[in-house]
Amino acid sequence: MVKRFSKTLIAAATALAISGAAQAETLKIALAGPATGPVAQYGDMQKIGVTAAIDYLNANGGINGMDVEGVIYDDACDPKQAVAVANKIINDGIMHVVGHLCSSSTEPASDIYEEEGVLMITAASTSPSITEKGYDLIFRTIGLDSLQGSLAADYISGTVKPERIAVIHDKQQYGEGLATTVRDALVDAGIEPVMFEGVTAGDKDFSALIAKLQKADVDFVYYGGYHPELGLILRQSMEKGFEAQFMGPEGIVNSDLAKIAGEAVEGVLATAPKSFDQNPENAERVAAIKEKGEDPTGPFVFPAYAAVQVMASTIEAIDSTDPIAMAEYMKANSFDTAIGTVKYNEAGDLTESTFLVYELHADGSKTAAQ
Amino acid sequence: MTEASLYFLQQIINGLTIGSTYALIAIGYTMVYGIIGMINFAHGEIYMIGSYVAFIVITGLLGMGMVALPVVLFIALVVAMVVASSYGWAIERVAYRPLRGSNRLIALISAIGMSIFLQNYVVLAQGSRDVAMPPLVSGSLVEFGSLETFQVTISWMQLLIWVVTLISMTVLTLFISRSRMGRACRACAEDIGMTNLLGIDTNRIIAMTFVIGAALAAVAGLLLGLYYGVVNPFIGFIAGLKAFTAAVLGGIGSIPGAMLGGLILGVTEALTAAYFPSEYKDVVAFSLLVLILLFRPTGILGKPEVEKV
Repeated sequence: MVKRFSKTLIAAATALAISGAAQAETLKIALAGPATGPVAQYGDMQKIGVTAAIDYLNANGGINGMDVEGVIYDDACDPKQAVAVANKIINDGIMHVVGHLCSSSTEPASDIYEEEGVLMITAASTSPSITEKGYDLIFRTIGLDSLQGSLAADYISGTVKPERIAVIHDKQQYGEGLATTVRDALVDAGIEPVMFEGVTAGDKDFSALIAKLQKADVDFVYYGGYHPELGLILRQSMEKGFEAQFMGPEGIVNSDLAKIAGEAVEGVLATAPKSFDQNPENAERVAAIKEKGEDPTGPFVFPAYAAVQVMASTIEAIDSTDPIAMAEYMKANSFDTAIGTVKYNEAGDLTESTFLVYELHADGSKTAAQ
Repeated sequence: MTEASLYFLQQIINGLTIGSTYALIAIGYTMVYGIIGMINFAHGEIYMIGSYVAFIVITGLLGMGMVALPVVLFIALVVAMVVASSYGWAIERVAYRPLRGSNRLIALISAIGMSIFLQNYVVLAQGSRDVAMPPLVSGSLVEFGSLETFQVTISWMQLLIWVVTLISMTVLTLFISRSRMGRACRACAEDIGMTNLLGIDTNRIIAMTFVIGAALAAVAGLLLGLYYGVVNPFIGFIAGLKAFTAAVLGGIGSIPGAMLGGLILGVTEALTAAYFPSEYKDVVAFSLLVLILLFRPTGILGKPEVEKV
């Protein structure tokens, strides 16, 4: 009886605490990205970064006394659902968005945010076409494919020096955009890829493609796309005895690639944002994330963290949550964040960003490539 | 052999492998259509569930320290077939039988609903991510041609797919042509009302076709799961679409037609990917479907439906 009474008390106290918190002013930040679907891992990375940043802010008095709350919206990396999510965010009255993740989702959603006056910072979308439209309210905390693609091409032509290169992509905005950048940069460097082809995202059988690569005597494959397809290509290549050096963008960098492809992952190259979790200044943040049992090593964790930091310091500085005023301030100032100093150009892109070439390993880890 | 012919041979081998599994799934579509004239759109999901069950059983048995691979695979096959069959049976019972006799479109909507339900049910129960399994059947059986030109490989896994498909198809054909139940099944396909009048429990025969279709889909689920090593809740949609195409191509309602249609579709896809950019794979496969239907509206082996008076 006493036990039950005490439980009721706790429940009542919790209810009071919750309603008490609700009375204080809260700033809601929408977190848009895939929470389900084949690339949900990347949504998780974004969530880990954003929640860590929000927890830190709330533990230190919020932003100008406002508590911060992250609200998750799932676009499943599907452009149609991204539009629905963007409309829902606006209907819910949220003015600040971290996301979306897949470039093909970010682009249609950013149209809506710009029109409705919502500030958006994507921590993962690298497609150049998102900022090409000259929007005022759309920002990033990650570099562009043009940087990543030319880095990959430089590395291929300068360090790997393969004889016959194939460039494969998944026909989606992100993958095909990157693959095109890499191909063009290679052609500029005087190397003509022997193959440039698309595969269908979601496809499982790549045996025909692999036989074709074998026939063309390809010794280097650049893949523009995400890990589910590349994982299967690697796995089936190993089974068919096709040995070439593979390389991909940051969309393949996560531990699931190793789960799908196993041993075949060893030595695969990838361009990815600098491992910010190795940064000594982030030691405390990494520890806080690890304490919650989460993984701080994903490529988008700290860009997402930084996105919240940029929003928070802007609101603190101008004492307003108005997206238009915030955007003006963001373009005029620089920010000290988890990914280093963030400074924006007129288009809302980072003036400098660091992609590095990494070598992936079968245990899911990555090390800087020579 | 020249490089070109070796390459052609390799692509035919790849095509026959994927085609065999299309054929296994297509049987389920064609049998159900043959008897009750309905497209069971939830069939692709049965294949997906079969794949999941096989994965769970294999991982479980390997985790418990069981190492004899043939035994593990056999147990996984049996469990996947039983579980998938019970799903097939339950779907028929819950979603189709109460609607039998009503407009065909209503049953079709019910099938689509069932498909969405099953997909989301697996997303909730198992998560929406790719589940992966290390390669269990690896290595190749035959390698010929020279390394300088082109080497043709037939892997153990491909051989396993062919053998298991061949056995399943033979058993099914014998069952349909020789057994009492098989005869009842053919009678239902011919005229279900008359068969009923002759004292055959047609409800039981219909339930049985769902069970057989589901069991074969589970066989495909296990084989493709092993071949690719990954499974996610969304594989049923594309596989179902391809198998349905195969069934229509071969002549929906005809069992040999479904087998033939599956193989033709698989080989067409492989050859398209071989000689054109791979992105045209589906375009060519579906253009072929349109062409065949233009010239033979009933499919390759389908019989024209005679209006029953």
